[in-house]
Amino acid sequence: MNTTIKEQNGELVAVLDGRLDTAAAVQTEKDLQPLADCAGKNVVLDCNALEYISSSGLRLFLSVLKNAKGKGSHVFITGMNNDIRNVFAMTGFTNLFEFR
Amino acid sequence: MKYHITLHNDIQEVPQLAAFIDEVAEACGIDMATAMSLNLAMEEAVVNVMNYAYPAGTVGNVDIDAEFDDGKLTFILSDSGTPFDPTQTGEPDLTLGAEDRPIGGLGIFLVRQIMDSVEYRYSDGKNILTLTKNIQSNN
Repeated sequence: MNTTIKEQNGELVAVLDGRLDTAAAVQTEKDLQPLADCAGKNVVLDCNALEYISSSGLRLFLSVLKNAKGKGSHVFITGMNNDIRNVFAMTGFTNLFEFR
Repeated sequence: MKYHITLHNDIQEVPQLAAFIDEVAEACGIDMATAMSLNLAMEEAVVNVMNYAYPAGTVGNVDIDAEFDDGKLTFILSDSGTPFDPTQTGEPDLTLGAEDRPIGGLGIFLVRQIMDSVEYRYSDGKNILTLTKNIQSNN
């Protein structure tokens, strides 16, 4: 699992690449830390290369969202595959996030 | 067909579980989307044991047996940790907004969503969780 953070068009973009399982979540949580400081910027979670997510990953997504909302920022998700979309639907996460 | 793997209570062994599930799914001719759901359900069930069955700092095992018979895939998880019945955990409220949604509490819910049956028993000092999934034939 690889996570890269970049600033693009005034937004903070996290590119998630690989399998976000429980084993990977500890490192991914650290890698997503720069998103905590998102005041004045929207956050984009780029999931085009994300192959898999379990509840440990959903927990990280929700933490990013809660923090961003508290700072008045939006969180957009791009490029989820059908399997991950299905996990979002099962857990009601589809209603929490904005999608591009 | 029967399959078996023993893992320790170490979440860094989750990728070994994924490899095992993929091997079982492939041998049973299970489609990729179903294999991914099975991976998710099994990760959640096994991680729950890894995180909570044994006291922190102690090493324990979780055994996973799989059997595919007559279109039904059965997984049996067993551990000799603290008695815990995951079928008795509460349902998360999926209607809450982001501000009110608690962090966590989705793992066992996902297990129940994905599998067709989840049964728990405690026997001979072991937690035994039996999970089944009916697999649709492609024929």
